[in-house]
Amino acid sequence: MNCPLEARENAELLLDYCHRKLNPEAAADLEDHIAICPACGEFARNQQTVWKALDQWEAAPASADFNRRLYARIDRDVSLWDKLTRPFRPATLRWNPLAAVAACAVVLMAGVMVERYPSTPAPPAKDMAQVEPVQPEQVERALDAMDLLTEFSHHVKDSPNAKM
Amino acid sequence: MGGAVAALDLDTELMLRVKEGDGASFGVLLDKHRSAVIHFLFRMVQNHAVAEELAQEVFLRVYRSRSTYEPTAKFTTWLFRIATHLALNSLRDGKYERVQERLDDDSKDMPVRQVRDVRPSVEQSMVYQAKLDEIRRAIAALPDKQRAAVLMHKYEEMEYSRIAEVLGCSESAVKSLLFRAYESLRARLAHMA
Repeated sequence: MNCPLEARENAELLLDYCHRKLNPEAAADLEDHIAICPACGEFARNQQTVWKALDQWEAAPASADFNRRLYARIDRDVSLWDKLTRPFRPATLRWNPLAAVAACAVVLMAGVMVERYPSTPAPPAKDMAQVEPVQPEQVERALDAMDLLTEFSHHVKDSPNAKM
Repeated sequence: MGGAVAALDLDTELMLRVKEGDGASFGVLLDKHRSAVIHFLFRMVQNHAVAEELAQEVFLRVYRSRSTYEPTAKFTTWLFRIATHLALNSLRDGKYERVQERLDDDSKDMPVRQVRDVRPSVEQSMVYQAKLDEIRRAIAALPDKQRAAVLMHKYEEMEYSRIAEVLGCSESAVKSLLFRAYESLRARLAHMA
């Protein structure tokens, strides 16, 4: 067997051997080599020391409220997402016959309003007579004036000078 | 590959159920992988509070991605890809640089560490703490990617191919990363024999 340390691509054999991941046949071959190769022997001893040292490093367990905090974050996240996406959801997913009828009614009403009250008034024709707006006081004064004239004309007819 | 993975991997099936709106399956996945993710992140950033915060973010991202989840790889590969990405980002951002300095203060924010002996003597505890600090320093001294590769190889017992998938590199690159990482660790920790 060639020395695994002479080619890096074979060095994984030594790592796998130290981590007991090598199949029994390959492990036996490597053990034969390690017995006669000081460099591989030292590598294996040191690697096993590292492995045992790393075994001592125990991580602390999760906090008791880890799940509670996570679900609270998920709830916040989901409700925020729900709020943000609600206006953009397809209408077909929220089909409501009453809302559809109401929407149709609104569209019809809007159509009628547009028909009755065009949004832009037609400009007045140049040849057409312009009608000025008249105030009620003006009408009253005109009627009073007409009454006075009628009364005056009666007086003129009845006066002696008129017969002359 | 996707179909075969889905057929074999129970976690993937659970995640597909989460995708269909089954919240209970998310709970199963959380209970199953919570510890592994927290432990991995703790060993990466070496601060328990930060590790838990990052772990929360990992599971939050899993939940957020449920609707677009596709079983293109093993669930745990995907999970550790998210965890590694977050850990590497937090280390790169330098948010937790003080972690290195805090190795001496025995991480006050950590829950009580599990000790193997029921009643260790003061001397035993001191020796144990000294050894532990040395191990932590040796791991912290590794470049980020080497550290991630060693932690997945040693503690998660992942195959080279899966580590490669998580780190987004080739299998030979992972072997090279591991070889250099263990070389550094041997140089620093071999005297512990």
